[in-house]
Amino acid sequence: MIPLQFVTAFLMVFMGIYAFLYKRNLIKLILALNLIDAGIHLLLISLGYRLENGILPTAPIYTGYETLKGTPMVGPIPQALVLTSIVIGVCVLSLAMALTINAYRHYRTLDVNKLRRLRG
Amino acid sequence: MMLPFLIIIPLFGAFSMPIVSLLGKKIKEYWAAIISGVTFVVSARVFYTVWKTNEIILYTLGSDSPVGRGVKFPIRIVWEVDLFGALLALTIAFVSFLAVIYSLGYMKHDTGLEKYYTLILVLEVGMLGIVITGDIFNFYVFLEIMSIASYALVAFRNDTWEGIEAGIKYMFVGSLASSFILLGIALLYGQYGTLTMSYLAIKIAENPTLVAKLALAFFIGGLLFKSGAVPVHMWLADAHPAAPSSISAMLSGLVIKAGGIYAIARIVFGIFNPGLHAYLRAFNAPAVNMNVVGWIIVFFACLTLLVGNAMAVVQTDMKRLFAFSSVGQIGYILLGIGIGTLAYGTKAGELGLAGAIYHIVNHALIKALLFLVAGAVIHQVGTKNLNELSGLAKRMPLTTFSFVIGAAAIIGLPPLNGFASKWIIYESSAMYNPILAAIAVVGTVFSLAAYTRVLFTFLGRESDTVKEAKDPEKSMMLPVLTLVVIIIVMGLLPWQISDKIMIPTARMLEQLNGEYIMALLKFIGGA
Repeated sequence: MIPLQFVTAFLMVFMGIYAFLYKRNLIKLILALNLIDAGIHLLLISLGYRLENGILPTAPIYTGYETLKGTPMVGPIPQALVLTSIVIGVCVLSLAMALTINAYRHYRTLDVNKLRRLRG
Repeated sequence: MMLPFLIIIPLFGAFSMPIVSLLGKKIKEYWAAIISGVTFVVSARVFYTVWKTNEIILYTLGSDSPVGRGVKFPIRIVWEVDLFGALLALTIAFVSFLAVIYSLGYMKHDTGLEKYYTLILVLEVGMLGIVITGDIFNFYVFLEIMSIASYALVAFRNDTWEGIEAGIKYMFVGSLASSFILLGIALLYGQYGTLTMSYLAIKIAENPTLVAKLALAFFIGGLLFKSGAVPVHMWLADAHPAAPSSISAMLSGLVIKAGGIYAIARIVFGIFNPGLHAYLRAFNAPAVNMNVVGWIIVFFACLTLLVGNAMAVVQTDMKRLFAFSSVGQIGYILLGIGIGTLAYGTKAGELGLAGAIYHIVNHALIKALLFLVAGAVIHQVGTKNLNELSGLAKRMPLTTFSFVIGAAAIIGLPPLNGFASKWIIYESSAMYNPILAAIAVVGTVFSLAAYTRVLFTFLGRESDTVKEAKDPEKSMMLPVLTLVVIIIVMGLLPWQISDKIMIPTARMLEQLNGEYIMALLKFIGGA
């Protein structure tokens, strides 16, 4: 039985890829990229989650709390990875928006099919 | 220990650039030149150390040992530099240094130059990071640093539609490829719980699951996108011509190699070592069938070198022609790597890998030279349309001479450096399968046709557009002539370079005795 969060994560990735292939608006394409990233982040973060004896795990920053009763701790590395990846995602998002604004200035449209003056 | 300075110096240079540029008008140019020059010296030192001792440098960030306290597995970020990484770091630092020098003259009329030099140094940091890292998530971070800097640099001249359109296309394709790579990393981490490349190699050999194969597929897919292999090469043909020429030289010469080819080679030989898995299969243990991976790489390589070179023939835009030629040359490098995977452990495999590595270095130098020449023509004449450029030879003799050297080298004429590397690739593919060698030679014929056309344009009857042209200023000619001299000198000693540098590099990448893994195991002890 595959855990539900993994199924959701892959659904999000495939939704993103679908939107990326079939949508023509630049803003929607940027959203599609973010959806793919969000799916991967969900996959990563749920890898660190574990349930031991039915006790909910705590976040690793509450160190005093978890040593108290020996409650399980969620994996800290996926959280660090996802934080880094979110920062990278924000960089790409802002650059993409800046380029989209510039493209609108030059082409007066957000349709990616109209952006084909380059050819060879 | 010089290794951390390879990252520290350009990173410091990049982020001190806006402050330094406040000090005076010309200071930012000199600051960028000094920083990239010092980086080049450091990379030469690192390369010399690795080459002399023939040992892998393993550097742990923030500690002496990658192994965690009280546990028996690596938990820290490690940088692991073998000869391949060090050689590429040297190439990257050298070509970036020349591109910065060239920019002093070439970008003189542009504004926002402190941003330009910041981005160019960040691009250099990203590439250097990719080639020295030994941690797969760290690799992803550096890959994204490199990619974001190159998206921004392609669209640097945002007052033209050309740069913006190319930048958008490049950015969407590149981000999708990066997402695939991140998905691969997430799958590997979920299955094996580690991110250190050499430890992943051990873990995968112990238990190669379907997830590992899926992750490998995502990696190869994403990295073929990034290196511009043929079904997905269209972004390259748009992005490389649209960037400023100094950036085109770095994109075509370095970025597609560091972010594409190098990473494929590292993942195929470092994490999923063909020898290790062939050994496991010999004992009927579960293993990844690396022959399939090798044939996939060879298939895309043949497609790439045929289509890339053939498309170059019909271009009328000079920089677009060079970009398609880059696609073609990537095909040769992939062919070498594919044969290295298929014929792992034999003479042909070693030669194929050595040829691929040799061609990476040679193509970085030659394509940098060609794009810098194209930049000189654009700077002096103002057009890159081949139909308007006939008869440049009389007006720009030095530029034309440099172009002739570069074109002859990339086709693979004997006294120049491109000959040796292409010859080794032909030889290894003929040893493995003569049909592959025949395909490679057909690709070269197309390449010859494309460059002959440009050459005839340069030497042809003088047209009106070029009446006023003359050779550009010294700061632009200096990097071009340096590259010409290096190409000729490397061409005079082809087999010495191959025996002294490329074959040891290929052996170290191939790691017949698992050197890359052993460098980490020394810290864990036992095993």
